[in-house]
Formats: sequence, structure tokens, C-alpha cells
Amino acid sequence: MEKYDDIVVGSGISGMTMALILGMNGRKVLLLEKNPRIGGAVARFYKKGIPFDTGFHFTGGLQKGGILYELLTALGIRDLIQPAFLSGDHAICCIFETENRQYKIPYGIGNVKKKLKEYFTGEASAIDGYFDKVEHVCAQTPSMNLRTLTTRHQSLEEDFISLDEMLGRLTRNPLLKAVLSGFATCYGVKPEEISFADHSRICLGFFESIAHVKGGGGAFVKAFETKFRDFDINIRCNDFIVDLAGIHDKKVGSFILSSGEEISSDNCIFTIHPREILSILPEKHLSRAFINRVNLFESSIGFFSVFAVLESGFEEPDFDDTIFSILPGCDLNQLLDPAYTGTPALLLIKSVEQVGGENRKTIVALEPSFPEHVKAWKDSQTGMRPQEYQDYKKTRVDAVLKRIFRLFPEYKNSLRVLDSASVLTFRDYLNNYDGSAYGIKQKLNQFNVIGQLPLRNLYAAGQSSLLPGLLGAMLSSFIVAGSILDEDTYNKFLLKNLC
Amino acid sequence: MTEQEIVDITNKVFEESFEIEKEKLKPGAHIFTDLGLDSLDIVDLVAALQKSFGINIRNEEEVRNIRTIQDIYSLIIKLNKKRK
Repeated sequence: MEKYDDIVVGSGISGMTMALILGMNGRKVLLLEKNPRIGGAVARFYKKGIPFDTGFHFTGGLQKGGILYELLTALGIRDLIQPAFLSGDHAICCIFETENRQYKIPYGIGNVKKKLKEYFTGEASAIDGYFDKVEHVCAQTPSMNLRTLTTRHQSLEEDFISLDEMLGRLTRNPLLKAVLSGFATCYGVKPEEISFADHSRICLGFFESIAHVKGGGGAFVKAFETKFRDFDINIRCNDFIVDLAGIHDKKVGSFILSSGEEISSDNCIFTIHPREILSILPEKHLSRAFINRVNLFESSIGFFSVFAVLESGFEEPDFDDTIFSILPGCDLNQLLDPAYTGTPALLLIKSVEQVGGENRKTIVALEPSFPEHVKAWKDSQTGMRPQEYQDYKKTRVDAVLKRIFRLFPEYKNSLRVLDSASVLTFRDYLNNYDGSAYGIKQKLNQFNVIGQLPLRNLYAAGQSSLLPGLLGAMLSSFIVAGSILDEDTYNKFLLKNLC
Repeated sequence: MTEQEIVDITNKVFEESFEIEKEKLKPGAHIFTDLGLDSLDIVDLVAALQKSFGINIRNEEEVRNIRTIQDIYSLIIKLNKKRK
């Protein structure tokens, strides 16, 4: 029987991070992926030769000393990830359609505060108060600073206050509230449901800087693949765990794979959806309390996505230096509610891609969507869905295009839609649990599943464990890997790589 | 909520969520040594108590100090009074 120190299940950004940290620390690691290739939602796909990103479009924290910069440094892949920073003056253009208002938001906390105070005169104390609190939360969260050498992620007072409540204490201006909670579409939870602390932890990076990455999510996959070769990390695609064997004293002895092979491993770390972890664990080893806790988790938002390209030769300077966040109203609680059926929020991400020596301008349009929106077709599979589903997709694509052309009439004759994806597409293409973009909904007063599982040599990490998004997924792997390695080994690893 | 109701609901959590026999649920019962839970079960226990009582159990210091069933009764009674 083949023997490993650690099996990592799921090869999205969290699984790749986990496998690399463990491998860099001399452990024999097997990375298991259900799909034919690794990368999960950070992998790219190609349509007519044009690359598009599935789940990774932009990020914060890539500036020198930023949290993502530090994580990549620790993994030894910073040089392989080239940020392309958006405009420092107007990285985000927040458009309120109903109110007919437009706010151009820079990055750099000082710049954001200054700009917002210009837009919202009379709200200076609310704006200062908000950013003071965001910075306070992040400074008080030691796990967000790798150099503190701690894997503790303890709760703060702000973990028990919703974003909505905190904003309500600071201001009565609904537009300012909407601007300050606008990044909610980047983690998929209503302001009334997420804690102010988690909102702050996720958003700090975006306030500090916003960047595309050259080569998109594919650059991360390539960087990890390079490192996996250096550290002899085994990768097995098209395979997954179907059963656990040799369970004694709450520990699993071996793992039965879908290929029929039995593999022995000291540990197994799942970076997949908690419900999928639950389906692998034998029920007789679980308490009803654990099962109930996992079953109560709700889905975060997913996206209806349109992937389009402008015709070759279309000229537009600074095409990709701004992300457009278009909101049909300022009530984010309503816009992020699965029952909401009005015009959705819309995020437009423009990107320039090198295709055969030529620069091609692509647009990815993302509208929040939920498994509930496509539940009529939930039992269907890609390529075999009924006509009504195709009609649903066409209606949504047309509506998205209409809004794009209202904003950019000059694209009307040049924009070609190459593909579109519903929540179901994401579910089936990525083999993820429900097609949501951020795993479980990270709600106030909720206990996520992170670290050791009821069978004690099994662990959970990933964006559902700690914080949503690329940063949350990576950070969760650092924290959980730190608990698997002994403290001294982990600290030496960080100190060596962060120098 | 009366103190007896708090005792009953807490015991029900142990019976239904951890399949512990009623006879073992004495106030002095140690949740680790007598009831067989371990430190990692505490998160599940607190999540189940939160759900059953509809309250937020957030004082980590007090949760960390839980040793007996009586400690849980006392914590919930205190949180219930605060809520009022």
C-alpha cells in the first residue's frame, strides 16, 4: 500500500497552498483532484483561443508587505506572480443606477478616505470611524500577519456585530453605507449577516491595493506546479476518496480512492465544501451535533457570468484599469437575497490578454446568482440541459449586454459574447458542491469547520473554513498546516522564507 | 425561561446531539471524563446550545472553563438573565 504523510483533497488555491507548505517542510504529500486538471476555480479556460478566468479576477494585498504578497513570499512563488495594479485613482467605479450616482474609488486607505470625504461632505467622522475600525480589527487579528508566527484566530468584539449594525452606528447615509459595504459582492454575504470583523479582514487588502495578475488565475496554477515539481508533491487528477478504512481511536488508517486503490496516510486535509467532507465521514463516528452544524450552513452567492471579447484592433486606452460595480439600488441586503428577483448587481471586469502576440480586450460580467435561481434544472447535467434553461441563459446574457451597452455604447458593434455560465455551470464544471462562488455563507455567530475533524487525523481548510476568497482560502491553509506541523518547524519555515 | 427549562433543554442537547443516556446527565457530571466528549466537541456543543436557546454564546473565557453540566446550566442562566 502506498504511504503518505499527508493527503490533500481538492486542488483549488487552498489545496495547492496546503500541499506546498507541507511539501516544503519535507513531508510526502499526495494532492487529489476530482477534475481532470488542478487549480479549481483559479484555473483558466479558453474559448476560441481567448483565456478567461473562472473564479479569480482581481485581488487586494499584492502590494509590497501586503498580506497576499507575504503569503506568496512564504511559499516562494512571489516572483512567479506578476501584479498589474489598477488605477490608483479610480480602481473601482461604483455606479448606482437608480440614484444616478457614480463614485470613483481609489486605493490606499488615506486616498480612499480623502476621496470619500469629497463625495460625502459632512460624513468625515463616519468615514474615519469606519476605516479606524477596519484597521483595528485587522491589527488585532494576529493570524493575518504571518510575521507574528501565530496560527491563533481568536474572536474580537467586532466578530459579534454585523456590518449593517456597525454602519448604522456610523452613518444614516444609505449611499455611503452602500459604498462602504460594496465589497460584499466579493464575499457573497449580506451586510446584515456578516460580522464587521470578517468584512474588515476580507476588505483591508482591497482598500490597500487592487490588482489583476498577469496570466490571471492560471499564473497561480503554473507557479504551484513549478514548486510541486521541486518538492516531489504527487498529483493525482480524476480521483477522489470514496471510503475511509482502518478507523481506530478516532483516527483513519487508510483511504480508499475511486480508482479502487487503498492509500495509507498519517493525515488527510480536505479543502472541499463542508457538506462534501460530511458525505465522506462515516456517520457512526460523528455526533449529531457535528452533522447538524454542517447541515445548517447556507450557500454564499454564485454568479451568472458572461465572457466576452472586443474585436481585434478595438482601441481604448487604460482599458483594464477600473472595475465597474453597478448597483441598481443601495440596499445590499436586498441585492444579495436569493429571493430578490429585480435587476441584479453587476460587476464588470476588463482585462487585456496576450493571444498569439496580440493584445485582446476581454470583459467578464458577473451578476450575483444563487442555486435557488436554477433549481428547476438542478438534476440536469452540462450539455444535456433543456431548452428552458438555454432560454434562461439567453435572457440573462441579453440583459447583461443591454446594461454594458448603456454604459459603453462604443462597444455595441465590437463586443462578442463567447460564453456564459450559470451557477449550475460552475457547479458541474468545477465539481463544487452547489456552484456558489465563496463556499458556505460566512454568517455572524456561526462556527465554521476548520482544523481537526471528528476523526482526528482528518482536517478541514479552504474558504469555507475561515474567510471567503483567494486570501481567505490561502490563509486557512497556513493556519491548518501550522497546526499539523509542529510549532517550531512552522515558525522556522516562515522565518526562513519571509526574510 | 425558567431555570428548569434551561436544565431540560441543555440535557436534551446532550441526549439528542451527543447520544448520551439520560441517567448520566447529572449536574456534577464532567463533560470530558464522564460523558466522553473531547475539547474539539466543545464547538459542536456550543453551536447546538446556541441553536436550541436562540442565544449567542460568545464569551470564550467562560466557554473554555466549562467542565461540568452545571457549568453549562450556570452559563446559560447568566446569558438568559442578560438577554432579559
